[in-house]
Amino acid sequence: MRGWQAAMGGAVWLAAAAASAQEVPLPTWNEAERAAGLVDGALLTADAAPAAGEPLDLAPPTAEESAASETPAPGIPEKFWAAYFGERPRKFLIDPQGVLSANDARERLGFLNYHAGDSAIDLFVYVFKGDQEIPAELRAEEMAERFFASGRPAAIVWYFQGSPQRAALHLSPALTDAVAAAEQRRALESSIMQALEKENPSAQLEAFLVQMSIRIYWMEQLWGGGAAAATPAAAEVKLPKKPDQKAVLLAKLQPLLDKARRFALPAAGTAGALVVAGLVAAGLRLRARFRLPVLEVEPRLGGDHAAGAGAVISFASANLALASQREQRSDDPRRT
Amino acid sequence: MKCPRCVQRIHRAAASCPHCGFSIVEADALFGAQGLRLRRLTDTAGILRHGDREQVEAALGRITRRLPQLFAAVYTGALGEAANIRQFGFWLLNRATFEDVPPDQRNDAGILITLDPESKTAGMVFGYQLDAFLEESDSFDCLSRAHAYWLEERYADGFVKALSHLECVLCKRSRQARRHPKHFHQKVSAPVMPGARAFHHPPGNPLAVGKITEGPP
Repeated sequence: MRGWQAAMGGAVWLAAAAASAQEVPLPTWNEAERAAGLVDGALLTADAAPAAGEPLDLAPPTAEESAASETPAPGIPEKFWAAYFGERPRKFLIDPQGVLSANDARERLGFLNYHAGDSAIDLFVYVFKGDQEIPAELRAEEMAERFFASGRPAAIVWYFQGSPQRAALHLSPALTDAVAAAEQRRALESSIMQALEKENPSAQLEAFLVQMSIRIYWMEQLWGGGAAAATPAAAEVKLPKKPDQKAVLLAKLQPLLDKARRFALPAAGTAGALVVAGLVAAGLRLRARFRLPVLEVEPRLGGDHAAGAGAVISFASANLALASQREQRSDDPRRT
Repeated sequence: MKCPRCVQRIHRAAASCPHCGFSIVEADALFGAQGLRLRRLTDTAGILRHGDREQVEAALGRITRRLPQLFAAVYTGALGEAANIRQFGFWLLNRATFEDVPPDQRNDAGILITLDPESKTAGMVFGYQLDAFLEESDSFDCLSRAHAYWLEERYADGFVKALSHLECVLCKRSRQARRHPKHFHQKVSAPVMPGARAFHHPPGNPLAVGKITEGPP
């Protein structure tokens, strides 16, 4: 009885396995389909492909997603266009919207000024809000050609405050031939990476600029040497530490130097006035006349003009201490 | 106020020292009764060179310029074994006439530094007008400034230092006297007798200088 039951079970299992193998056929395609590119997962079976007009079984969008999709990215107000894109900038930091705080703007501008003094390639930074969009009709290449074709070569950065990953780099025409696109991309990427290591938007911009300044140093080498080849990839990891530290240190010191320059003239004026006042006071004191009240004193010891005596000291020997002579004695010190 | 001979305190208006009997008469007996004419800088000992003299005279002139009522003088000379520089200074300031001091300026307003290079002693005496404003300790401080220089026989430098300090002290006293005139007045005025009413203002003129009266008004 038991042997019969086991034989029946095995037969049922085999029959079920055979039936399931027949229900899911493996996909097949011919050579023409393969050549047409309908492979690599793009070819759907007739069962899996959704029929035309059949609604998909997807979750409805949330309210936030709906709102986000309906709100377009804000553009730059038109009143700032002229300040941003109307002419070649006179300062290295272009922030007519006041995206940066006054202190940050002063520090960043100080650093860019320092960079300009230390490098043959100027660095112009246009600062926008993190979610702003550049006007569609504006082409960066055209702008670089128009404003930066003459004068010192320049690197132009469009930086979106708080979104360093959106930053863009353009070079003036004098540099575009000398610095390969790959090198430009690497410079931008490494700067973005440095910026993303910081959390504070202000620190992000600072890190971005420091790294960009270093990368511009490498571009300068390429430009000066006339070599169009990109720097080796190893340069990214073998960045010299010394310029970095120097740049960071100077960037930190720049506000102090600016303040010192700002207050140097008033401080010098004040010091000069104090010195003059001191000299005048000293002169007046030296020229001052002093008077003593005339008091009636009765003559003593028969002297018409003086009586009594002041101190007497001996300087016969250095061994005779002066302090011991303070107490005056009845005779000359030489005799005591 | 001390006696030039015994250096004991003497009271005001004492005709002679109550301790040793010293007076100008005894000094005259020692140094001579006749007057003598000097200049503010008299270098009888011949220890000052020409440049040195100019330095010392400049320091003397500075005192007169800043304190026009006063003058300072320097005398150097060998006094001999028997002489006492304290008594000599007392005698000299009473008996000398200083030629380069305006005639209306009496020796009461003079300060005299005497130096004997043989005995290597120096002393300072001053006239009655300075009684309230200079003390023995002040004169000691002035001479102390010169001590180190005189040890090295740099006499002129020593005089200049001593006179500079003297000038500072006198200017300071002048300022103090302007602020606290009473303090200096009390130094030379007669002591108030027991039971006396001090500083009574005469009626009708409260700002007038008061006079000391005894007993109830």
